[in-house]
Amino acid sequence: MDITEIKDFPVNSKSLREVREFSREVISRSSILEESKEELVLAIGEAAQNIVKHAYKDNLDTNDKMQIKISFKNKILEIGFFDKGKPIVEENIKHRSLDDIKPGGLGTYFIQQIMDEVVFKEATGWHNNLVLTKKY
Amino acid sequence: MTYKITRDENISTIYLTGEIDMDVTEQAKELIMPVIEEKKEVHLNLKDVEYMDSSGISVLIESHQKAMELGTRVVLKEISKSVLKVIMMAKLEQILILE
Repeated sequence: MDITEIKDFPVNSKSLREVREFSREVISRSSILEESKEELVLAIGEAAQNIVKHAYKDNLDTNDKMQIKISFKNKILEIGFFDKGKPIVEENIKHRSLDDIKPGGLGTYFIQQIMDEVVFKEATGWHNNLVLTKKY
Repeated sequence: MTYKITRDENISTIYLTGEIDMDVTEQAKELIMPVIEEKKEVHLNLKDVEYMDSSGISVLIESHQKAMELGTRVVLKEISKSVLKVIMMAKLEQILILE
């Protein structure tokens, strides 16, 4: 069964619960995805959190929306994140070393552990477009 | 996130419930840190925590480190399956105190 679902969310930390609820609902539609639902919800939640925390770091009172697109076709899950925050410099994104025990810096690591591919793409009308992919 | 705190002579136990994400990180720290500052052993009961992300993990690390500084300890008790999975993904099962 093919799935394509798109939803906009206000860019703030209160939206993260709504992002997870949306993700759980969409993922639950596929028995293939259902098995890794909680991991996928974590990856999606972390990516959305990064938008709030980093792309809008200096603009916490924004009225902007971020958009999340989940599609599952031919056993390939693709999750797109679109925002109009500060453009991300991909080279600057790295998780902390796991041996360096300190708070923070784990979200990107979780995303990389859960997904097969994590890339930034160009998207007309948006400043950042992160695409997470996983093959089943 | 909701919580309940019980105290006995040597141990304070904080029961956390719900989802711990970026939105409740500050609330969780404001709740946990003063209890650690009482310098008794603190048990964080995570049985009813359904979801924890990297922000929640940061609270656990910060709590552990604060307790160590003060010569006490934070023990994670009855960790829910989903939280344990995240702790293990972060390879923290040997760093944090799990019982």
